[in-house]
Amino acid sequence: MFSSTKAAYAYIVARTKVMKSKLLKAEDFRKLLNMDFDEIMRFLEETEYKKEIDEIAYKYTGPKLLDYALFTNLAKTYRKIYSVSFGNPKILIGQYLRRWDVWNLINILRGKNANLPNEVVEDTLVPAGELSSEYLKSLLTKDINEIIKEFEGTIYHEALSKLGSTSLSFIEDQLWKSYYKALISIKAEDIETKVFLNFVKMEIDLRNVKTLLRLKAEGDTAEDIIARIVPGGYELTEDESRKLATTSFDEMLRALEGFWFWKVSSVDDLARTEIEFDRIWIEAIAKRASNYPLSILPVLQYIILKKVEVDDLRILGWGKWHKLPNEELEKQMVII
Amino acid sequence: MVEALIGDEAFIKGCAAIGAGLAVGLTGIGAGFAESGIGAAAVGAIAEDRGFLGIGLLFTVIPETIVIFGLVISFILMFAFG
Repeated sequence: MFSSTKAAYAYIVARTKVMKSKLLKAEDFRKLLNMDFDEIMRFLEETEYKKEIDEIAYKYTGPKLLDYALFTNLAKTYRKIYSVSFGNPKILIGQYLRRWDVWNLINILRGKNANLPNEVVEDTLVPAGELSSEYLKSLLTKDINEIIKEFEGTIYHEALSKLGSTSLSFIEDQLWKSYYKALISIKAEDIETKVFLNFVKMEIDLRNVKTLLRLKAEGDTAEDIIARIVPGGYELTEDESRKLATTSFDEMLRALEGFWFWKVSSVDDLARTEIEFDRIWIEAIAKRASNYPLSILPVLQYIILKKVEVDDLRILGWGKWHKLPNEELEKQMVII
Repeated sequence: MVEALIGDEAFIKGCAAIGAGLAVGLTGIGAGFAESGIGAAAVGAIAEDRGFLGIGLLFTVIPETIVIFGLVISFILMFAFG
């Protein structure tokens, strides 16, 4: 039993470590910054994204081709990690990847809300969670009420049932809340699951601090902020967040000092602060993953780094396409 | 009581044989435990990149050295007392 659990982690960790070594390095991004859009695409054709770019090059051009290739590759990579893992890691990875169900559901709802054509929404879907690509496509053909009915009996139904009676951004927060609630309700029976739960709780901390900063800066009421707080944080507990929501912005900043994530240089530009939080998060997971090498953390670290790579490439691609200056792009990117 | 039933020499030979068996058996189990993790990691790495085949194999067989020690001990026991 001991050896089979360890072997399951050893296998998937070794596999994802090799996959991680194939991610683009910071120096690659620095090179890419000095290229134009076409050169970036040519560069990517010599990387892991080649297959996806070639597959869809007949249909799309420009940043749309880049977007589609990146999202398809991301979904394929995540599905691969899930399918090649076994035992306890497979269960935990599957649970964590359900975040893509929430992401897809939110995209579908946004598309419906903005009356976007199904093809446009379809291109943004990342079928890396529990819901298959076919099922997600079938949801696109349904109206809002049918979608709500479709999710009856699932963790998302409660949030979805409020559709129409409240803002979409509130529903989105509630969907994320349902996702995190389901994750932290997993019973921590062994050290590996405990490590996973701590990781999720740290992620909740970051989500909550971002919510607090953003909504406080916008001047939202304490009740509105509290309603969007995800319970179950690591250091920033629900009670702590509630307290912070009722204080002033400056008092909140003072109170946040000392938390594990509070290493930001300034909060003058919240978009930049959020990027700083992402960098702090990446550093924190790297440290924890090296402390627990035979756990789910190195796999989750790769999952996050892959997403960051895709996000950075999208920023780079779209930025270059719209001829934005390099300094601006560097500010937006996490890996630099 | 055992000594009363069998002679001294036979008793020592028997103990040496049990010792030799334990030396090989226990080191084999130890190596098996160690190799399960290393082997799984090696297969994982090789599945992603075949370039890891050589190094993966090398690391996987490293715990086998303990079995060689066990084997040597068993030979010594068998030659000395067998």
